[in-house]
Amino acid sequence: MTKRNDFLSRRHLLALGAAGAMTPFAAYRALAQGVPLPEIPPIPETLKGTGELRIAGYGGTGQDAERTAYFQPFEKMSGIKVRDFAGADLNKVKAMVDTGNVEWDVVQLSQGSVKNLMKHGDYFEKIDYELVDTANIDAVYRSEYAIDMLVWSEVMAYRTDAFKGAVPVGWADFWDVKKFPGDRSLDGAGPGNPELEFAVMAAGVAPDKVYPIDIDKAFASYDKIKASVVKWWETGAVPVQMLTDKEVVLTSVWNGRMAALQAAGVPAAISWDQGLLKRDAWAVPKNSPNKANAMKFIAFSTMAVPQARVSSLIPYGSVNSKSAAFVAPKQLALLPSSPDIKSRLVPYDYSWWSEHRDEVVARWNKWILA
Amino acid sequence: MSDAAVITDIPLVRTFPVRPFRHTGAVLLVGPLVLFMVVFYALPVLAMLARSVTEPSLSLANFTRLAHDSVFLHVFGTTLRTAVAVTVGTLLLGYPVALAMSRMRPNAAKLVLVIVLLPFWTSILVRSYAWMVLLGRHGLINEALLAAGVLDTPLRLLNTPIAVHVAMIHIMLPYMILPLSSVLRQIDAALPRAAASLGATQWGVFRQVVLPLSMPGVVAGTLLVFVLSLGFYITPALVGGPRDLMLSQLIAQQVDLLNWSYAACLSATLLAATLLLLALCQMVPGVRGAFRLGVR
Repeated sequence: MTKRNDFLSRRHLLALGAAGAMTPFAAYRALAQGVPLPEIPPIPETLKGTGELRIAGYGGTGQDAERTAYFQPFEKMSGIKVRDFAGADLNKVKAMVDTGNVEWDVVQLSQGSVKNLMKHGDYFEKIDYELVDTANIDAVYRSEYAIDMLVWSEVMAYRTDAFKGAVPVGWADFWDVKKFPGDRSLDGAGPGNPELEFAVMAAGVAPDKVYPIDIDKAFASYDKIKASVVKWWETGAVPVQMLTDKEVVLTSVWNGRMAALQAAGVPAAISWDQGLLKRDAWAVPKNSPNKANAMKFIAFSTMAVPQARVSSLIPYGSVNSKSAAFVAPKQLALLPSSPDIKSRLVPYDYSWWSEHRDEVVARWNKWILA
Repeated sequence: MSDAAVITDIPLVRTFPVRPFRHTGAVLLVGPLVLFMVVFYALPVLAMLARSVTEPSLSLANFTRLAHDSVFLHVFGTTLRTAVAVTVGTLLLGYPVALAMSRMRPNAAKLVLVIVLLPFWTSILVRSYAWMVLLGRHGLINEALLAAGVLDTPLRLLNTPIAVHVAMIHIMLPYMILPLSSVLRQIDAALPRAAASLGATQWGVFRQVVLPLSMPGVVAGTLLVFVLSLGFYITPALVGGPRDLMLSQLIAQQVDLLNWSYAACLSATLLAATLLLLALCQMVPGVRGAFRLGVR
């Protein structure tokens, strides 16, 4: 299923290696400097150990934040040596498990990806919830083979200089080309999914009734906006670039990108309502040689303070409900997991997508080429 | 550089000892690379291609499905069309540059070579983003045309097939110019002069002497650009329109869906098409020489 990282889909990173400075926002990629990070309280003996742990993430600034927030403190506090790698990829996990050469103990994926691969065989270890702070982690974030650890959002963004002060709220407005004239862009079916949720909400389905998605209704709704969508994007850098260049006035976008855009002075804003609440998750490949350490790390990184440390560094939220108290109010206001914002978002249903992704993508390909 | 020509002119190489030894020597020289390619390239590729007929069961089901898949046929058509357009574009733009380079003083030619190679040192990603900025509705090109009064309203350039062609031609140009200029520079300068002294017009010299002698370069450049263009992924994804889906994008999508066998089947088809093309080229008279580039 979808794999998002802060800047480019990991495929592009892998394909091209140096994904250095390619947008005008390169300068804003550096992690927030000098942000005071909350100290992690002493950890229980059950989370300590010996040996090592190999973690694969999506690379980039996101992984830099994770390293500062919890890879380094975990190594110091648990006694377990951490090595981290970029290039987390579901297909690589499959290949590693198939060949019995498991090189990663913990992998950043999504619940959806994990569910998809589990349909092909026994590829992941069960998460050891005995160790995890389940009391403070919402059930929606927990599943048998993966646990969410980074909360982000797929939201609507618009040029604030395009509509004479009018603010689009919800997808019906996005679809209303009379009230909000101009070109748009939306997610296509590349490494990610087309967001059928947006299409059905535009057609009048209430946010809490989105799932199970009425696929026919979604495509009928897409028919109505197709002519105004100049780009069905595949990687998160594209909508940001198009907003900046005034190529579009409205788009769907990953929330983390918008902070950089606004910092660069582009008159653009997020309209949070009816956005999708998405998550990255940790999973442990089957037969990982450091499985026990992996479970300890997973428990550690989803605790309140380590989660708050990540959120202090990048505008992605926490899965631990106790984290908010440790994040500066100004930063908290940017997080999809902050109570004010979370209530306006629709939690993405990874199970539905894992059941229907093949069908939707096949239909999508036909629809887009028609 | 005409290194190859220089080397073959060194007597030592030509008169090198007897045949059997030469054979063993060749094996020793080429062996490591061949072994490397077999172990790290050929075997994995074959294993991957095998999936197209062994999964989900041993059959040609994947390929039968392909033949009736309207999406695949459309995408395959787009891919071929794009590769042809880019090849023709680079040939038309690259040939004059290569020809000019062959007639320059060595130092000037070196300077042009560096300029031709400059884009090579920038990642494709960066160049594709640069085209987004240039081709946009408020981009440099539209703004300039508007300011000059050529246009009243900005043209839609970005997110169209035009954008894909322009950006890919830019990226592929060095691959065309390099083999062309290498061949053009090896043409004996006495030949065009002889033709001219025998009364041929400039056009006649080009048409009857230079162009035929440069055909190996044309073929090499054309094949190189065409084959590389077939596999483009990132540029169409960034600057193309909704319908400009290339085969490699479809393959990536199927890999992400964990449909490895179908992705392998798509890859096998792309590979087969490429090999078929190379085979066809081999059969064209006068083209065979292109595969012996640099050895006269």
